[in-house]
Amino acid sequence: MHIERVLPKMRRLVYLLCFACLLFSILLLASSSGKDDTDESDEITFKDFSLNIGDRVDLGDYRIELIEIQSVRDGLAVVRASKVGGSLDEQRVLLLDSSNSFDGGADHDGITVTVSDIFDEQSARIRIEYKQGLGTPRKHASERPAAALDKPELSVQKSFEKNQMSVGDAVKVTITVKNTGTGQALGIKADDSPPLPEFSYVAGYPPKIKETLDPGESDSAVYVVDAVKDGSIRVPAMTVIYTDSKKNTKSNSSDPFNILINPRSRADLVIEPASMTTIPLDGESLLNISIANRGTASATRIEAEGTVLPSDGLLATGLDKSIFEIKPGEEVNYPARLSGKSPGNYTIRLKVSYDGGDGSVIQEASAQVAVLEREYKYQYLLLIIPVVLIIAWVYRRYKVYKY
Amino acid sequence: MLNVLMLGVGQCGNRILDAVNKEAFGGGGAARLAKYYLRPKFPSRVETLAVNTAINDLKELRFTTAKDRLHVPNLHGVGANRNVGKRAFMDNRDLIMGEIEKRGDFDIAFVITSTSGGTGSSFTPLLINELKRQYREITVVTIAILPAREEGSIYLQNAAFCLRELMEVDAEGIILVDNQYMKRFGGDIASAYDKINDMVAKRLLFLIESLDSEMLSVTDLGDFKTVMNGGLRIGTMGFYQADSKNQSIRDAIENSLKPANLLFPAHVADDAARAMIIIQGSREHLDVDEITKEVERLTASAGHVFKGIVVKKGPVKVLSVFTVASAPELESIYSQAARGMQDEKDKRCRARKQLDDAFAHIEDLEEIY
Repeated sequence: MHIERVLPKMRRLVYLLCFACLLFSILLLASSSGKDDTDESDEITFKDFSLNIGDRVDLGDYRIELIEIQSVRDGLAVVRASKVGGSLDEQRVLLLDSSNSFDGGADHDGITVTVSDIFDEQSARIRIEYKQGLGTPRKHASERPAAALDKPELSVQKSFEKNQMSVGDAVKVTITVKNTGTGQALGIKADDSPPLPEFSYVAGYPPKIKETLDPGESDSAVYVVDAVKDGSIRVPAMTVIYTDSKKNTKSNSSDPFNILINPRSRADLVIEPASMTTIPLDGESLLNISIANRGTASATRIEAEGTVLPSDGLLATGLDKSIFEIKPGEEVNYPARLSGKSPGNYTIRLKVSYDGGDGSVIQEASAQVAVLEREYKYQYLLLIIPVVLIIAWVYRRYKVYKY
Repeated sequence: MLNVLMLGVGQCGNRILDAVNKEAFGGGGAARLAKYYLRPKFPSRVETLAVNTAINDLKELRFTTAKDRLHVPNLHGVGANRNVGKRAFMDNRDLIMGEIEKRGDFDIAFVITSTSGGTGSSFTPLLINELKRQYREITVVTIAILPAREEGSIYLQNAAFCLRELMEVDAEGIILVDNQYMKRFGGDIASAYDKINDMVAKRLLFLIESLDSEMLSVTDLGDFKTVMNGGLRIGTMGFYQADSKNQSIRDAIENSLKPANLLFPAHVADDAARAMIIIQGSREHLDVDEITKEVERLTASAGHVFKGIVVKKGPVKVLSVFTVASAPELESIYSQAARGMQDEKDKRCRARKQLDDAFAHIEDLEEIY
């Protein structure tokens, strides 16, 4: 605004100066040439400088120094202007693009300072307007080391204990917040998304994170949820909000990710007795019974019971069995001793009750057992041997009489 | 126990010996199977040996074991020629006697032979001599089968000369079996011969059993030898088995001596020299008094009669063995044989003369080509 107002004046002034110069040139050509140039020194000019904090610009007796960037967002920078001799020593908060006059401003032999741009917390562009007569401004870089940045930077991570789980599984969710910046993070608030319908929160929610984290410090919170519904779930990002020491509010979010909830794990016991067992009458045999867990959850409190149908004629011991647990994929084998007392076909019914993780379950299976009729081994020899003996005897007798 | 040797010489002797072995199996059709599961059941220790020069005759035997068949190698028989037969015997004497010797010692030997054939009629007299020479104490009895009269002149001639030689050897006697007499059984020739063979076999075994049994009244080998030494030392056997309707001992004895039940035609009352009556039956049928009376009655005509009584369950059976003092039938055979030989001789002379006359036609001629 000042420039726009100044420029037409300066243009007119330039026009006047050109006219005056032309008039004086004629006069000079006619008389002598020994006049000073004080009129040029009254012209107002400006110059832009990019300054880091601590850098200064010397202009004549004036010294302009960038003290700090108070707020990048609000466009506030602190600039100190002083004058040799101590007649001026003033520190002001300059608003971006607002001209500030020191010592009466450039129009009154002073200087006008404008913050034309704020690059970051450490640097800004400053325009200095002055009369040429003050000399040429020179920039002096600060010899002080750059002050440590007071810039907190929080990273947030949300993770599940496992990416795949089954309905009913309890899973830990871990929230980790770490200050990776250089400044202290204040007023930290972890904003986790509200509970997803696929989970029921058991304990630890909402996660509690320290309100303040020094640089390099981290904090984490754990809460436990139960998966209640199967499906593929997109876990949304969670956000952490904090402020730095200058009350600048910042935030960061975790990355969203997917998890898979499988249907509920169940134990599935399969009873596999030997398909067909034959026992000789009054003989004994072992019936191998196999109980295998083909499910995805452990079966517990397993009670196996067996009954023989018909109950007479086949004596079975060891059919009943108590097993505390069968893990998924595992198998338990045990033998039952069978003793055949009467020939016939028998059925052994096996009933196994267990807790399959989803209540009590009963499984049944059956095995066929045949008690054989008494076998008279080599009975055929009773016929064959006499026949052979008779044939041998007859042949021998035939040879006796064969001439 | 009596040690008995039974030799069947020649075809006829072989067949009768086979019939003896068949009877040892029980006889009849059952014997055909019994030989496969039974051993021959002889009353004593009986060894049998069939001797023949014709191997085919030996092969026909059914109840004689192979080891009891001795083939005397002489082509295929001797062709009813007794001279050839005698030579064959002498050539194979050691073989034959060695085979007999293998069977041990014997108390009595029955040599069964046909008098008309070649091998039997020629071997038997020589064989008996050898037996007597080798076994000093042995009793040798010949069972000689006479031919049917119409069988031919050679057979009659053989029978005549064989019988004469058998009479000359040092044997205990001859029991004659007359095929001519036995033909009365009728039927075909084969079955008639089979019946004769079975009959002879049965009577021989009965005799052996009697000689080796514990009797109520004893007849032993000595008695038998005495009987066979009586008369012409030629005898025969009669046999009768009472039927269930008539178990009379007296009738049985009389029937056993009737010509119909004899093996050779003879009249006991007229011809018998010595006799032996062996009676077998159940005790209730054996009336000793009646037996004695009947034997006494027989003794009046036959000279001396030995009696033997064997108590054994079953029907009454009577075997009578007797020797004859005269044998008119033999004279008939010899006369017939002589006629036959004379006829043969005349025929041969006539034929020779005719042949000589025929040759006379070309006597002075030469063959011209």
